[in-house]
Amino acid sequence: MTTRLKAAGVAVTTLALCGTLAACGGAGGPSGGGGSISDDKIALGVITDLSGVYSELAGENAVAAVEMAVEDFKKEHGEDAITDKIEVTKADHQNKPEIANTAAREMYDRDGVDAIFDVPTSSAALAVATVANQNKKLYFNVGAATTELSGAQCNPYTYHYAYDTYMLANGTGKTVTEKGGKSWYIIYPDYAFGQDMNKSFTAAVEEAGGTIVKADPTPFPNDNFSTFMTKAPTLNPKPDVLGTMQAGGDLVNVVKQYNEFGLREKGVDLAVGLMFDTDIASIGVKPLAGTQFTTAWFWNLDDESREWADRFKEKTGVRPTFDQAANYSAATQYLEAIQRAETDKAEDVTKELDGYEFEDFFARNAKIRAEDHQVVHDAYLVQVKEEAEVEEDFDFTKLLETIPADEAFMSVEESACEMG
Amino acid sequence: MLRVRGLTATYGEARVLQDVSLDVESGQVVTLVGRNGAGKTTLLRCLMGLHRSMEGTIELDDRDITRLSPHQRCRAGLGYVPDDRGIYASLNVEENLTLPPTVGPDAWSLEQVYEAFPVLADRRRQAGTHLSGGEQQMLSIARVLRMGSRLLLCDEPTEGLSPLLVQQIGDILRNVKAHGVTVLLIEQNVHFASTVADRHHLIAQGRLVESLDNAEVKEREHELLEYLGI
Amino acid sequence: MDGLLQQIFNGLVSGSFYALLALGLSVIFGMLGVVNFAHGAFYMLGAFGAFILLDSFGLSWWLALFVVPAVLGIVGMVLERTLVHRLVALDPLYNFLLTFGIALILQDLMRLRYGVQSQPFSRPELLDGSLNLGLFSYPKYQVFVLLFSIVISGLVWLVLTRTRVGMVVRAATERADLSQALGINVGRWVTPVFGFGIALAGLAGVLAAPMRAVNSSMGGDLIIVIFAVVVIGGLGSVFGSVTAGYVVGMLTAVGNFYLPALSQSLVFILMALVLLLRPAGLFGREEGVHA
Ligand SMILES: Nc1ncnc2c1ncn2[C@@H]1O[C@H](COP(=O)(O)OP(=O)(O)OP(=O)(O)O)[C@@H](O)[C@H]1O
Ligand SMILES: [Mg+2]
Repeated sequence: MTTRLKAAGVAVTTLALCGTLAACGGAGGPSGGGGSISDDKIALGVITDLSGVYSELAGENAVAAVEMAVEDFKKEHGEDAITDKIEVTKADHQNKPEIANTAAREMYDRDGVDAIFDVPTSSAALAVATVANQNKKLYFNVGAATTELSGAQCNPYTYHYAYDTYMLANGTGKTVTEKGGKSWYIIYPDYAFGQDMNKSFTAAVEEAGGTIVKADPTPFPNDNFSTFMTKAPTLNPKPDVLGTMQAGGDLVNVVKQYNEFGLREKGVDLAVGLMFDTDIASIGVKPLAGTQFTTAWFWNLDDESREWADRFKEKTGVRPTFDQAANYSAATQYLEAIQRAETDKAEDVTKELDGYEFEDFFARNAKIRAEDHQVVHDAYLVQVKEEAEVEEDFDFTKLLETIPADEAFMSVEESACEMG
Repeated sequence: MLRVRGLTATYGEARVLQDVSLDVESGQVVTLVGRNGAGKTTLLRCLMGLHRSMEGTIELDDRDITRLSPHQRCRAGLGYVPDDRGIYASLNVEENLTLPPTVGPDAWSLEQVYEAFPVLADRRRQAGTHLSGGEQQMLSIARVLRMGSRLLLCDEPTEGLSPLLVQQIGDILRNVKAHGVTVLLIEQNVHFASTVADRHHLIAQGRLVESLDNAEVKEREHELLEYLGI
Repeated sequence: MDGLLQQIFNGLVSGSFYALLALGLSVIFGMLGVVNFAHGAFYMLGAFGAFILLDSFGLSWWLALFVVPAVLGIVGMVLERTLVHRLVALDPLYNFLLTFGIALILQDLMRLRYGVQSQPFSRPELLDGSLNLGLFSYPKYQVFVLLFSIVISGLVWLVLTRTRVGMVVRAATERADLSQALGINVGRWVTPVFGFGIALAGLAGVLAAPMRAVNSSMGGDLIIVIFAVVVIGGLGSVFGSVTAGYVVGMLTAVGNFYLPALSQSLVFILMALVLLLRPAGLFGREEGVHA
């Protein structure tokens, strides 16, 4: 029987290897330039998670958002549009950097894609940013949260849209601390995103005059947080806030178990690093009621947002997440910049984008910073509604405070970006 | 009682038994003698249905059992005492005894077993593998007696046992034979074999090469011992 | 000290899941010689079963506790009869391909239907709140899970050690071939035992639904650990896998407490140690392994 086990073990390993190798396909030749519109068309590529944990908050509906942006652009400009040949292609990167890398190469080289959008998972986004820089083609990151993209690893071809760990930490960490949640116990999943979030939150809390009693990495994925739940109230000094940096299923586990262990009654409040409406739907409003978190946008923020969200729902059947809305906004701003530049040549488009100030349903008081390619805009500190306040599906959050664009993101001075 | 015809067995490419034909008469004790690796164990496993890659036919009391599965052969009257004794560690002594069904009218009762093997009675609640090697051998034989099997297939029951225990096993086998049970016995100890058995089959490189009676075994004891490398 | 005691208690609770799952995996392995890589998927189906019963039929979680394992047990038996039993004659590689394939199919089916987001599920009201255990108070629901899993493991233990059925299963688990030669129709027991193992996985899933995220990947993440638990306990050893389940649970909890960064690997370090020092597992027997 041991042989049977060994064979099974070998099979697991082999399968894992195959997966990796399959991702290492070759790349095609360089694409031809020239003319005002390369290949006589504008091609937008969406690299996103089409099957995994982020497939609902980004995924197919992020692609749908980009397609909506293309349709709206054509409608808006009609005859005057620089071209009516605008294509959208998509690829599933399964949240793996090596697959994202291959997909990006193929899009730029083979499919003649001019700009890539989305790319959740920081390691995958950084891989795509590198490819964009090498190929001198544009990349608008929306899905990934790492500050590196517009920090130490910034490049002239990559823009960072929507949100990052600084924004989340600055919003939630600072505000909660200032409102009296002075001492924090942070738990974070032990991979790049979690570590990044932990760093950003620690900095934000300390800057606001709070202290981090302890920060514990947790296994990822993990379904059992009881150790951390029982540990929290016994720490010395007892923390006011349990800050969870978990996402998706892990976050659901944390919240369920936070409630099981009655931590709120024990005087330890919950602060969530990153949360989407889809997470709230999973957990239920009741156990989360009152929880504060920071978001780049939410669909019923105001009438303008709601109007877009209604159109989105008509097309997709669901309410948009901020990732999807931001993909629409990014694609729109990109197409408008081409229209103004009268070419899709990356260098000319960036000239139009850099320093551009704009306003759309997603991005308010927005500016595309030339120095580090961070797209800054208002962010929102929100709170999960009480069950009785919920009026319709996905009506989960209410606005507490608008964080102005120039405070919501890391300042240019703080940014580690040196655009080469 | 048992008739084997043209039995050939393989392990992958290797042919371990070649065209073996063998008859065992009812009530007899018959031994298989041969060097290590000659194929004795494989032959018993074929008879029991445990070794699948084989050709040939096996009949028990004129009934073809070649296609039967091991548990059906057991119920047809074959009692298997494997070379490793086959004692379950996760069963206690009594459970080891009572696990198999009774298959014949002459099945011993538990009381009879304990009377004949007092040591098993003393240790009935202990895990089977906590017994000494000799005790495990007793248990393995007692188990087939309790089933009431008509034909015992015993694979080297004396291996590794002290002379005293070997003698005890001899007594048991003679006792069993007196009850009319037939025995096919693998035995390297030709001297011991000649004290319990009626006939002896010499097996070499997967073939039955000779069939001897007790007188012939005595006569050629030295030659046989040398051949067996003992 | 209180802290450590409480961590040990935490560990016992998560160990409850390991124990129930490892128990099923272990009897299936022992009896069929099949490593069931789909075990985690049935745990996931158990949790979804509770969710579906409540969401679509309004049946309470308490009913699900009985209905779901029973239904999944039957599904398991059908699966054994139609597919799994064919593995016995085949190369072990097929074992992996089939059961892992089943796991992927089940997981994807649930994902197609319910997406990747977790499904909402709340505690039965009766088990809301916490219980004072003297040294510390503890969520009632989790105390229930622990007691329930101990009772189930205990019942299985009683059946295995005190009944004829149990004796046959133990014998067939330890040495299937020999048991055949001793007149046991092992084949007849294989299907119910497989179904039973699957039912246990489903039961663990129902127990998990109120306290863990219910989504299609919840089982896939768990199966690797369960696999390690079974190896630590000794393949095919029922007592070993239950004990190892609780031990691994405690190890992880205490590890999370003192060495959170390492806790993920502790289980596998323990597994490596056990394989080095006692290849048959803590409670395994050499014979059992080779049977
Ligand atoms: N599982 C196996 N796979 C391959 N070959 C085997 C296997 N078991 C036995 N053999 C080979 O088959 C031949 C016969 O083995 P068998 O065990 O039947 O011999 P034996 O006469 O019982 O020997 P011994 O006196 O050592 O018990 C030997 O050459 C052995 O190496
Ligand atoms: Mg032998």
